[in-house]
Amino acid sequence: MSPFLNTTLRPYLNAVRATLQAALCLENFSSQVVERHNKPEVEVRSSKELLLQPVVISRNDKEKVLIEGSINSVRVSIAVKQADEIEKILCHKFMRFMMMRAENFFILRRKPVEGYDINVQTQAGGLRHPLHGGNRQGDQRDETVRQRQGPYRC
Amino acid sequence: MSKQAASARFRRVDVDEYDENKFVDEEDGGENQLGPDEAEVDSLIRQGNLMEALHAVLKNPPINTKNQNVKDRAEGLVLKVLSSFKSSDIEKGVQSLDKNGVDLLMKYIYKGFERPSENSSAVLLQWHEKALAAGGVGSIVRVLTARKTV
Repeated sequence: MSPFLNTTLRPYLNAVRATLQAALCLENFSSQVVERHNKPEVEVRSSKELLLQPVVISRNDKEKVLIEGSINSVRVSIAVKQADEIEKILCHKFMRFMMMRAENFFILRRKPVEGYDINVQTQAGGLRHPLHGGNRQGDQRDETVRQRQGPYRC
Repeated sequence: MSKQAASARFRRVDVDEYDENKFVDEEDGGENQLGPDEAEVDSLIRQGNLMEALHAVLKNPPINTKNQNVKDRAEGLVLKVLSSFKSSDIEKGVQSLDKNGVDLLMKYIYKGFERPSENSSAVLLQWHEKALAAGGVGSIVRVLTARKTV
């Protein structure tokens, strides 16, 4: 590992952080296609005007991050460096372990985008009740639902 | 009841195409945009006049053209200029650009990240840091929200 390689880590992370800061500007946006639905536009990709330019930040040809934004959601795809066979296997197994438990992680995607190893996806106003669609305005409504269904039914 | 002989083709019409509020990207005729002048930029690099080369290569960005070759050539040229700068001169180079220049530089930097070669990412990361200092997060937002990219 050349000493030069280590000097790209800090600028790489800073560049990713700055780009995320720009892309993570989200607002709640109900679906324009189906009423009373609130879908992550970066996943559905139904309307061109709601999507941002996808942007890549690469440290070298093996490690890169793809950031796709939209009006209410952002998807970050990470390609992890895998130097040899054993690292490839370990990475694959570890990612699979986490992605199988994506429901508990909330922001993990179950399948990585083509060419990358793992995806993190988040949506404005869509996190608290993954099973309830519809309008997100309702701290009050959510409270009523919680009372009806009990605190552990989430 | 007798079945209508008229066709049921109306069922296959994509109603969303005819929605008058449907968003369509503007199609500017960009066929004449050729990108930065290769000969000029090459001669400036050979002379060692890197500031001028930077300004020259950021002229005429092939934003509207659909020709991928023009875009690739422009990107290659920009990468050549950016790589020939010394690390200590990068900041001065960025300072010499105006706001639009910094935005355009950011676009080229992100384009360059998509195709990493030998050392390109390291150079681009240095330029990204300095351009970010000059343009702020706003310059990145303008790259993300641009409808037409370089």
